[in-house]
Amino acid sequence: MRSLQREPALLLALLAVMALVLTFVVYPQLQVVLTPGPGGYVQYLQEGTWVRPLRNSIQLTLLSTTTAVLLGFVYAYAMVYSNMRWKPFFRLVGILPLLSPPFVVAAAYTLLFGARGVITYGIFGQSPNIYGLNGVWGVQTIAFFPFAYQLIADALSRSDPRMEQAARNLGAGSWRVFRTVTLPLSRPGLGAAILTTAIYILEDFGNPQLIGGSFYVLPTEAYSLISSFGEYTSASAVSTILLLLALGLYLAKVRLDGGRSFVTISGRASSMPRPPVSAAVSRACFVACLALAGIILLVYGSLLVSALTLRFPNNLQFTTEHFQYVLSGTNGDALRNTLVFSGVAAALSAPLALFGGWLVQRGKWPGRGALDLLLILPAAIPGIFFGLGYLLAFNQRWLDFVDRGLLIIIAFIFWNIPVGYQAAVAGLRQIDRSIDEAATSLGASSLRGFRDVVVPMLGGSLRVGFVTTFVRSVTTLSLVIFLFTAPTTTATIRIYQLVGDLNWGAATAYTVADIGMAIVALLIFAALARGRIALGAARA
Amino acid sequence: MIAGTAHVRVSHVTKRFGAMAAVDDVSFEVPKGSFATLLGPSGCGKTTTLRMIAGFYDPDEGDIEIAGRRVNNLPVHRRGTAMVFQDYALFPHMSVRDNVAYGLKVAHVSGADRTRRVDETLAFVGLGGLGERWPNQLSGGQQQRVAVARALVIQPQVLLLDEPLSNLDAKLREQLRVEMRVLQRRLGMTFVYVTHDQEEALSLSDWIAVMNAGKVEQAGTPWDIYYRPRTAFLADFVGAVNLVPAKVLDATDDLVALALGSQLASVRRPKDVRLAAGQEVTLCLRPESFTIGSTTASPGQGIELSGTIVRRAFLGDTMRYWVKVDDREWIVDQPDPGGSATLDGAVSLSVRPDRVHVIAE
Repeated sequence: MRSLQREPALLLALLAVMALVLTFVVYPQLQVVLTPGPGGYVQYLQEGTWVRPLRNSIQLTLLSTTTAVLLGFVYAYAMVYSNMRWKPFFRLVGILPLLSPPFVVAAAYTLLFGARGVITYGIFGQSPNIYGLNGVWGVQTIAFFPFAYQLIADALSRSDPRMEQAARNLGAGSWRVFRTVTLPLSRPGLGAAILTTAIYILEDFGNPQLIGGSFYVLPTEAYSLISSFGEYTSASAVSTILLLLALGLYLAKVRLDGGRSFVTISGRASSMPRPPVSAAVSRACFVACLALAGIILLVYGSLLVSALTLRFPNNLQFTTEHFQYVLSGTNGDALRNTLVFSGVAAALSAPLALFGGWLVQRGKWPGRGALDLLLILPAAIPGIFFGLGYLLAFNQRWLDFVDRGLLIIIAFIFWNIPVGYQAAVAGLRQIDRSIDEAATSLGASSLRGFRDVVVPMLGGSLRVGFVTTFVRSVTTLSLVIFLFTAPTTTATIRIYQLVGDLNWGAATAYTVADIGMAIVALLIFAALARGRIALGAARA
Repeated sequence: MIAGTAHVRVSHVTKRFGAMAAVDDVSFEVPKGSFATLLGPSGCGKTTTLRMIAGFYDPDEGDIEIAGRRVNNLPVHRRGTAMVFQDYALFPHMSVRDNVAYGLKVAHVSGADRTRRVDETLAFVGLGGLGERWPNQLSGGQQQRVAVARALVIQPQVLLLDEPLSNLDAKLREQLRVEMRVLQRRLGMTFVYVTHDQEEALSLSDWIAVMNAGKVEQAGTPWDIYYRPRTAFLADFVGAVNLVPAKVLDATDDLVALALGSQLASVRRPKDVRLAAGQEVTLCLRPESFTIGSTTASPGQGIELSGTIVRRAFLGDTMRYWVKVDDREWIVDQPDPGGSATLDGAVSLSVRPDRVHVIAE
């Protein structure tokens, strides 16, 4: 504390960060929780309309998490342990879903398996009803197993190859080593991976909204209460129930992995190779990965084909008509909005997260624990809740002079701050405190030392924060669904609307353009960053 | 400031971490231009004291003055101290030149002046021509010199060094120890040095404060610390020693008559110590103070003992013997073992009275 009194500039900077966090994290969330009031909660709970969506949410989360984790585990095991061929290819395919809005899986699913689906109708002549639990379950499995794969692969690859080599050296077979050494050692990591996947699925809005039909889950219930009935009280109450569930899962996860809630997808150089698995296991892994990668490619391939053909699947004549539509007029604006909002948010969120991490990790002032909590908290907040909070807090007449795009940018910044923050804290733990102290002992103020020494050394954390914020902003639907206005429509909103209009050509072209834009932006960023970039695989 | 006056003054400083007082009411003064060392085992509070002088920790009680000015309320970067860290803490993203130039850049020293001073300092520490290297391209010893150059170049009032040689191998440590001393003499700068290595402390310092459990046990010249330790802890911490209980028989102005076991001895009386007949004291005898021989020596002043060699270790420059006299083993060093035959069996030991130090605890 005395160090702050001696450096007024540092104190001011700290107060500014605190003020920002209180205004843009605490205040809007409190609005949601407090909107119904005691009477509102009692009335809403008595009405009982929350029981079905709550049950549906829990059911869907349990089912989808189980299947997504199983598939993800197979993929992860194959990638970490087997000697199968095509690993770079499988890695690439595994990253693709992270760069796209999860709800495009629902769109592709409808295209392939819907009443007029390529496979169901085109091949088998069936017109099944895909709406409801089974459809959403299937879609969530496909949409989130790649996330489960990234998280599980990360947990597995943290197990020390030397332990496994030692166990093999003592005579254990590869399966026995995996069962008796790897699994017990990586149990906390695996548990956290499962819980994180569950949070993603619980909080997802797009997929159940598109093909849930009358199967309402908590996020879609909250949305429909507002969009159909203008019921802010009930929507806030149901969102709060969702928040409590998500917080519960998140706290359980933190207990398991100590708050290390991001994964960086970058090759971790291991000093020692893992003991080899048998050729038969590698072959089985290869077949499984081929099938799973096939599913991913089927999803994105059908989107691409649909985007480039006149009327998929009936008229497969090549056309650029859909892309022309996407780039024309206000449609192009939405794409540009996404790029600008996400780019600006990422450019601001990453340094802010880094600075926050430095204040908390290096500072010696009371209240650090509170700032730490507030900078991690948004990771547990469902996008729909966060967006509703901003709607309630800042959709005020006296704030009309504020550009609504700015509001979306601010929402992106603070919703995505946890990944960059945790990357910064993890990075700072790697850097001995004496490095900062050396700068100050040579005459630099704390802030100067931060700028000259800490920031250049934490380029990696900064890039994780930037890339993750960018990707999450480009792909989120739930956060902006309450915040967009006509001039500030984003690409995900436009895709969602076009799917709703059953305008498949335009919707898929839009999706391809959105993902393509994200990839190009990341490639340019990677080129600017002169090297590898790491993507934090957290999302909601 | 005039040479010889206090340049760093630590007065009644206490620092607590939780309930534990890491530094407990410590006071000392370091004269300007001297090489002062805080010596002690790990956890004794020496680094905490140094870090309070630097400003990384705030003392809970007491004052710290540098050049006559109380600095308790100054932030680290305004204290005019520069620190050399145990792990060097070189900025890995800057070249050697940029590392050394950093403090000057912060102080807005202009380009040409800066380049000249950086070059001079690099040459001064023997690193001329390595300015374009990166820290990870240097050996440990070179990195250590960069760390020193980086701190020296800003011409601090006081240079603080936190175990700067402890990460180096023995040979290099000895070499840099000499360089460090020469450097300090040439600059006439006040150094406050922290180490747990008593040899380093003895060879470098003008003045040593030995710390234990948060307190200064004794402060003084290396000579005093080594030959006239005030406590058994000090004697044991600073080098190998024989600590032997004895009883005072009679004390005159110059001499003390003692009984140790069945032996009688007469040794020089230490100054400033009250001794009375019948008092229990501890004798402190350094292994190298003995004369060891295979013949039985004639009794005289000092201590004369006969015993049997039970073990020996060849240390290169000396041969160390463990000699059993009655029930006690004595450590005795024989210098230049190549010059005489290795001893075995019954031997006699003798110590001159002025080489025996009496600790009255």
